[in-house]
Amino acid sequence: MDGKTEKGRGLTRRDFLEGTGAALVVAGAAPKFAGAESSEEAANLQAAGTAPRTRIRLTVNGTEHRIEVEDRWTLNEVLRDQLELTGSKIGCNRGECGACTVLVDGEPTYSCSTLAVWMDGRAIETVEGLEQDDELTPLQQAFIDHDAAQCGFCTPGQLMAATALLERNASPNTQEVREALVGNLCRCSNYNAIVEAVLATARTGGAP
Amino acid sequence: MTAQEAQGSIGPLNTVGHNVPRIDAYERVTGKATYTRDVRVPGMLYARVLRSPHPHARIRSIDVSRAESLAGVRAVVTHETHQYIYSSGSIAGGRQYSDAAKDITEHIRYMFDNPVRYVGQPVAAVAAVDRHVAEEALALIDIDWEELPFVIDLEEALEAGAPKIWPEGNLGLDFRNEARPMTRSVGDIAAGFRAADRVFEDRYTTAFVQDAQMEPRSALAEWHGDKVTIHTPTQGISNCRHDNARDLGLEDHQVQIVCKYMGGGFGDKNGSYYFDLIAAALAKEADAPVLLELTRKDDWLGTHGRWHTVQDFKVGVQQDGTVTAIQQTGYSGMGPYLRRSGGISGIEAYACPNSERVIYPVHTNRMVSGNFRAPSDPQGYFSIQSMMDDIAYEIGMDPVDFAKKNMLRPTEDVRFTNYMLEDCIDRGVELFDWQSRRRVEPGSDAGRIKRGAGFSFMMFRSGVGPSSAIVRVDSQEQYTLFVGVTDIGPGAKTTMALIAAEELGVPLSEVEVVWGDTDRCPYSVGESGSRTTTQTGYAVVQAAKDLKAQIAESGMPRRGEVLIASATPTPSTQGARRMCFGAHFVEVEANVQSGHVRITKYVAVHESGRILNPLPARDQIRGAALQGVGQALHEDLLYDPRNGHPLNAGYYGARHLTHLDAPEIEVEFIETDDGFGPYGAKTVGEAGIILGPAAVANAIYNAIGVRMKDLPITRQRILEALS
Amino acid sequence: MKAFANQNARSVEEAVTLAQQSLQGGQSVSFVGGGTDLLQLMKDRVVNRPGSELPDVLVNLKTVGGLNQVTPSAQGGAIIGGMITLDALSQDALVRDRFSVLAEAAESVASPQIRKAGTLAGNVCQRPWCWYFRNGFQCYKAGGSVCYSVRGENQLHAIFGGGPSYIVHPSDVAPALVALDTSFRVVGPEGERTLSAADFFVLPRQDAEHENVLADDEVLASVELPAPGSGMRSAFHKEMDREAWTHALASAAVVLDMDGGVVRSARIVLGGVAPIPWRVPEAEALLAGNRVTPEVARAVGAAAVAGARAMSKNAYKIPLARSVVERTVLTLATSA
Repeated sequence: MDGKTEKGRGLTRRDFLEGTGAALVVAGAAPKFAGAESSEEAANLQAAGTAPRTRIRLTVNGTEHRIEVEDRWTLNEVLRDQLELTGSKIGCNRGECGACTVLVDGEPTYSCSTLAVWMDGRAIETVEGLEQDDELTPLQQAFIDHDAAQCGFCTPGQLMAATALLERNASPNTQEVREALVGNLCRCSNYNAIVEAVLATARTGGAP
Repeated sequence: MTAQEAQGSIGPLNTVGHNVPRIDAYERVTGKATYTRDVRVPGMLYARVLRSPHPHARIRSIDVSRAESLAGVRAVVTHETHQYIYSSGSIAGGRQYSDAAKDITEHIRYMFDNPVRYVGQPVAAVAAVDRHVAEEALALIDIDWEELPFVIDLEEALEAGAPKIWPEGNLGLDFRNEARPMTRSVGDIAAGFRAADRVFEDRYTTAFVQDAQMEPRSALAEWHGDKVTIHTPTQGISNCRHDNARDLGLEDHQVQIVCKYMGGGFGDKNGSYYFDLIAAALAKEADAPVLLELTRKDDWLGTHGRWHTVQDFKVGVQQDGTVTAIQQTGYSGMGPYLRRSGGISGIEAYACPNSERVIYPVHTNRMVSGNFRAPSDPQGYFSIQSMMDDIAYEIGMDPVDFAKKNMLRPTEDVRFTNYMLEDCIDRGVELFDWQSRRRVEPGSDAGRIKRGAGFSFMMFRSGVGPSSAIVRVDSQEQYTLFVGVTDIGPGAKTTMALIAAEELGVPLSEVEVVWGDTDRCPYSVGESGSRTTTQTGYAVVQAAKDLKAQIAESGMPRRGEVLIASATPTPSTQGARRMCFGAHFVEVEANVQSGHVRITKYVAVHESGRILNPLPARDQIRGAALQGVGQALHEDLLYDPRNGHPLNAGYYGARHLTHLDAPEIEVEFIETDDGFGPYGAKTVGEAGIILGPAAVANAIYNAIGVRMKDLPITRQRILEALS
Repeated sequence: MKAFANQNARSVEEAVTLAQQSLQGGQSVSFVGGGTDLLQLMKDRVVNRPGSELPDVLVNLKTVGGLNQVTPSAQGGAIIGGMITLDALSQDALVRDRFSVLAEAAESVASPQIRKAGTLAGNVCQRPWCWYFRNGFQCYKAGGSVCYSVRGENQLHAIFGGGPSYIVHPSDVAPALVALDTSFRVVGPEGERTLSAADFFVLPRQDAEHENVLADDEVLASVELPAPGSGMRSAFHKEMDREAWTHALASAAVVLDMDGGVVRSARIVLGGVAPIPWRVPEAEALLAGNRVTPEVARAVGAAAVAGARAMSKNAYKIPLARSVVERTVLTLATSA
């Protein structure tokens, strides 16, 4: 075969959102596993022979994890569901909002838009890794003091992007802060306060 | 900026009025705050919803056998398996908290409807061992569709011969189940026009804007016997519980709603959602807890946003600028279900003795409209205040003078608890330097970069009403406050604690707040309509007073005992209007060659009574103003009228503001205490969003000399208007 | 997402071999760079390769060694590996210094997070952002036989070169590469071939389904920039409908070869206005031999859009494209 397959007959418009149409699913769909007691067990049963999996090594907030992941799992899913680090959020799952921002080898990354298997061997830092020994970072404290979190949902992503900024530029100006954080939306539109918190951290000379 | 003291008559109290970080700020900056999807329950399944690809269609048949056979799928539900009514989804006349309205409304909305009436409407749902399997299963559901004629355009929907979305046609049914517009008449409109020297007519339109809160919605349902616990992002746990109980055929006590943290709400989540029901149904079928996650696109199209409008105005004015008649005909696009009222506010801020307003809530096959922060206001204020701004320039008057001449003021018949509108305007004129920034002749700057300034003013309801609170003290002198709030962002938990601490006369650290769980909290009106501070806060004050009285009478409780006080006050202003006031002043810089607009100064002056917590209050205004900027310049949901399909759902599609798009908003509060509310506090949450579109639009007019009458005022539209 | 297998390629040749094997096995394959765009298409179940299915296999190019470098070429130009990230590209000293249009274009893309993952090749080969295509309509770009923008919502569609599809090319980097007279090195099962920009990008009237000539088993491995002349200066400017993180409404990539204040020759390429990066030779010709004054710049802008044809809702692109050409040319020519 040359890689071109016949499209489904009568498809004039793909069904919407998660709808029908396009490609067929997991090959060899098996009957429901009656008696599977837990979702984890069932997932293992499900996984065997169907969704390809890979063993990877991830260092997250300083701790190394050796785990097996489905190739299709994003870094965000692995962090939240396998490692139970739910601080990194899903805002859109499409790389359009930044709520899922984590640091990969120090660089701000949309964890929804990269596969876990591509992160093999990397060092990941999430919002949970900022606080050390019950001490908030100066940036986290500034977020509290300057009311930089309204609903708080974009906050972890803003913090990670700002942490990376302050690591490479300890005294950014307003424009530089906005440019560095432009990939992080805030619908509460608390932009002014977020920028103030980052600038305040820089002014006090605090490392992030 | 910090709060401003007006005439030295009001200042911070012991706790209230001082900057207090939110009591859960720590959780939010450490990632420890548990939003709905962060909750983990053993054995939890994941669910996905299948949605209609058609704007109007009937399901002839639905076959889920292939989906059910997929390994890992635990349950599939459809309109054939479950006929739950979604009662809060379709409420005649916008009476969302009225059971009576839900009982009589004729346009019933179901968890799964057949026929479906908008692209994105839910059709079926799957629960499976993980979200990928659930998603794959959706692709295995086979539906035989009968496509039906549909209508997307507001005015087309009201024409004879338009496809009928409901048997009665496409005008929304009111709470008497009658298809009639909302009308409001004052004085004698014909006489008003006869008294005018000039009559102006124009049309304004505003686009649909999605709430777009950062947290995409979810529901986690778990049954224990005949009781279901639903974790769901809701601003009103009490209403949510009652609605869900009703729809599931249960008693209130058989439903527990839990929402500890919510990633934004903006007025749209005070009540139940159909996906609460879907999660509950799947959980029952699968005999396991089910987390239903909406994708961002699901959330965008499958929930609600601010109704789009078309508004026609006819205004009569005398030579000296006195407005003698205002006639408004408005059309509000509600989608196929009348979830909310579709009202359009704005003209009532004028003193004009003769006015007539007719608003048609119209059904189309677009997504459903609902409440979004001051639901009827920004779209109305943009229109009437652009109109009035236009008239002011036509007759050669400064818009500020024109406003002062015509704005509603206290009279014998119109009483306010206090009135601060002129103060707000005057302070704004001063802070903003209106006289220097406004161009007397719009569009008069030379060159391709032109500056201009615009302003807008408002008054907004800040009523008093019932809510509940419970305060308890134990033998350790630890106070616990039980309030049914969720905290969608304004910091309600903190505000309630501040009020309690102030009234009890104790440090804030001695007050613990229990919130967000119907099993533990009393009834709360819910966080919408800007009522939490004024109503629940007032209940907190009363409960605290009661507790203090008990302590005075019987002393502090002994070991093992507690003292409890509860209050459900129903205060009244005895017919006086209680309003908050505001004025926004905006300067823009417009490049007439490229259509690019930049806001160079934005001043927002507000009177919202006593400010209980300055920083969150300031940021409520700043954030709301920026949402107004987004509505003014960017946001829209575009439908292709030929196929009824939405084209630009999502943050990118709607061009939401980024850090680089957000100007600095300067906020100043004028503080007062009118003797109502907790310590004189008034509405803050919704106040800030009302004036942005009007002020920005008026500034653009002043800069380029061309009136932009359609929101959003995009670069494309500016370029077209200038060419 | 549909289940798929990730295969890490260690060389371009291996990548091609892996792709071929999967295709021959009846599977659907996609090469992947940063993946930020591909993953979204897969999540939305929009097929990346027309006539194909959602991928069963992703061939990962990030693991190919040495494909992300900027290397000076023997001729005095530069060879840039396709897997260089947009961020690294925009920060590279040689690129910033000698090919500023390319650095500026790379820097203008999306957001910092996307630039740190997205690659040059990925950006150049990005599928269109037309909302019909991205919403799963079976249009030309999905292998169908209709363009919904023609009688529909075409605010963001082409004013040049359209027909039968009217998409605009979504890449910012591509106009810069075309303005720099870049050649594109493509590696496939038959070996490698080098193409000019004119041969790499295809108009819909040549091939409505594809934006470039890459076959399913071919990789854009690297690009080569010729040596810049001693008087060469370049710039990129992009107009968007918000301040950042948005595809171009209209953009201009301008390369001037100057002698003192006189332009010897110019290359002007527009983005956001046509299905391919759009050179405007009539405008370029107006610059040759001239000093750039505001009047000249204005004439150049007008010439750039002289052949533009508006659809029902995108007429604004004409003054906007004119404006961006005028402003970029003037600023570039008269800067110190």
